[in-house]
Amino acid sequence: MQRRCNPLKPSGLAVKFGFNAIMIVLSLLMILPIIYIFNHAFKPYHELFIYPPRFFVQEPNVQNFVELFWVTANSIVPASRYLFNSVLISVLSVIGVTLVSALCAYPLSKHPFPGRNLLFATIILMLMFTPEIIQIPRYLVVSNLGIMNTYWGHLLPVLAAPVGVFLLKQFIDQIPDALIEASKIDGANEVITFLRVIIPMCMPAIATVAILAFQNSWGNVETSALFMQDDEMKNFPFFLSTLTNNLANNVARQGAAAVAALIMLVPNLIIFIILQSKVISTMAHSGIK
Amino acid sequence: MAGVRIQHLYKRYGKGQQAVVSDFQLDIQDKEFIVFVGPSGCGKSTTLRMIAGLEDISEGEIYIDDQLVNKLPPKDRDISMVFQNYALYPNLSVYENIAFGLRMRKLPKHEIDLAVKHASRILEIEPYLQRKPKELSGGQRQRVALGRAIVRNPKLFLMDEPLSNLDAKLRVTMRMEITKLHKKLGTTFIYVTHDQVEAMTMADRIVVMKGGIIQQCDTPELVYSKPANLFVAGFIGSPPINFIHGRIAQTPQGRLEFQTNRFQIRLNETAEDILRHNNQVNKSIILGIRPENVKLEGLYSETIITGIYKNNELMGADRFLYLDIGQEKPLIARVDPDNRFNEDDKVKVELDLSKAHFFHKETGERLRE
Repeated sequence: MQRRCNPLKPSGLAVKFGFNAIMIVLSLLMILPIIYIFNHAFKPYHELFIYPPRFFVQEPNVQNFVELFWVTANSIVPASRYLFNSVLISVLSVIGVTLVSALCAYPLSKHPFPGRNLLFATIILMLMFTPEIIQIPRYLVVSNLGIMNTYWGHLLPVLAAPVGVFLLKQFIDQIPDALIEASKIDGANEVITFLRVIIPMCMPAIATVAILAFQNSWGNVETSALFMQDDEMKNFPFFLSTLTNNLANNVARQGAAAVAALIMLVPNLIIFIILQSKVISTMAHSGIK
Repeated sequence: MAGVRIQHLYKRYGKGQQAVVSDFQLDIQDKEFIVFVGPSGCGKSTTLRMIAGLEDISEGEIYIDDQLVNKLPPKDRDISMVFQNYALYPNLSVYENIAFGLRMRKLPKHEIDLAVKHASRILEIEPYLQRKPKELSGGQRQRVALGRAIVRNPKLFLMDEPLSNLDAKLRVTMRMEITKLHKKLGTTFIYVTHDQVEAMTMADRIVVMKGGIIQQCDTPELVYSKPANLFVAGFIGSPPINFIHGRIAQTPQGRLEFQTNRFQIRLNETAEDILRHNNQVNKSIILGIRPENVKLEGLYSETIITGIYKNNELMGADRFLYLDIGQEKPLIARVDPDNRFNEDDKVKVELDLSKAHFFHKETGERLRE
């Protein structure tokens, strides 16, 4: 009996070791592109086009950064303008999406009203459609609202986030009703209950929604491509796509593209590393992946 | 301070649905400790929540301090409530939890501080004021929940099964603490529980409910010694009261007898009076007698019956005997633990009829003098 329960008996140890080895190989595989992006950004030109390609940079320098920011600084729209647009839109959309999702999820979860289930089912149904399906109606809405070439055109189409509503509703469902009732008896109104009781309790879910909203908006090319005719209103990922797409020269600006790719990656990486524990707890709570 | 008057209170979920609470009528005096007790789903919590303003009232009126509160939101009723799962705000410290209600009422800072310190001193939670609720034990959380309730000095305390999440030992201590608190504060308490022991030990008056209807509202003593009907008799008391189904028959001498298919016992004069008065001669009836009134030997030879010993439970100070007397359920007798029997032994027990009750077979009501 004793021996059977011992996790460190020889065969168990081998299994554990083998399992860990597989996991390490897999995680190395996962981390390769990230390492590659970091290395690529610091490669001088002759290393970027070397054959066979090298993984790690031999003579790192910041030539590519200089190219991206200083060389384009004199062009009609400098790269920094795209970057500014992207940062602004992303920050606004993170705030907007979390706020709208939370304001939508709270009544859906805690306030019974006629048609509540139908409304929630409709929101869930939205998860089934790919964004491409609603591109034309979305274009018409944005165009008729007259918000082409404005930041609203970037922001409004991403504000309604079914995933965010769903995650937050599942999370708020776990909050016992007694807490809301207690705050009612304590004299809080709905706004205070929402801000001081509900929101602090679903911070993990809000963190998750914020990450999703950030990623969605940070990498979003669609609004720039469809709703922005003026180049100075387009965002960084759009700029990146013009650097690397097939119509452009495949050799020129390769270094700048490598740096741009790094810039695209870094915020995601930082945010995820900081907030990952909260994200995992949301995923565990909501029962979805 | 405040009394509560509840008149013809009804609660229905949806039109045409059966009422969860029906025709609830109660006058609660100032400073009274009222306990609503009943099995789950009897409407006791719903009634409490209607008094708190957390549930809409379908019909009827609730007055707190002679003020009609039907349309008043909970915060304007000057009440506080303790919930079963404590409902402490997990993101706030104990101090902030207690202060929350005062902050909502925009009290000046020094007054809040004074009130919180005072409440925490009463409940002996001063050392934990800076902790978060999750760092506290169940009993400490319960104290914090009480602290949050008393800090505002409300007219009325509502408690919804506050002790049912605690372990048995802690429950006994907290029971006494709450009684002490009631004496100290001199405020009206309404307390909901499904635990008859809590009801018996804490209440000034017990309201026994079933199916949304008040069965009886009396002092603990009267609820125990003069239960209104079969339900109350069976619900209050542990082990439960014995019900013996039988008939009342008249002997040739003109005395009354209680007969079952196994035995008959001669009734005393008080019992005879009650039965004649209620016109129950020659009718089927249910006799209720508590286990402590079934004794192993006694003075009245006329009320000795024989049961077949089936099993027993030793409770330390008492032994409960389960005797087969030809009824659906065994007769329970509460006897001295020194008495030991073997299975299928014939055991003679005496019923103390001066403490027995007679219940109407159809209505289940206790026959009154």
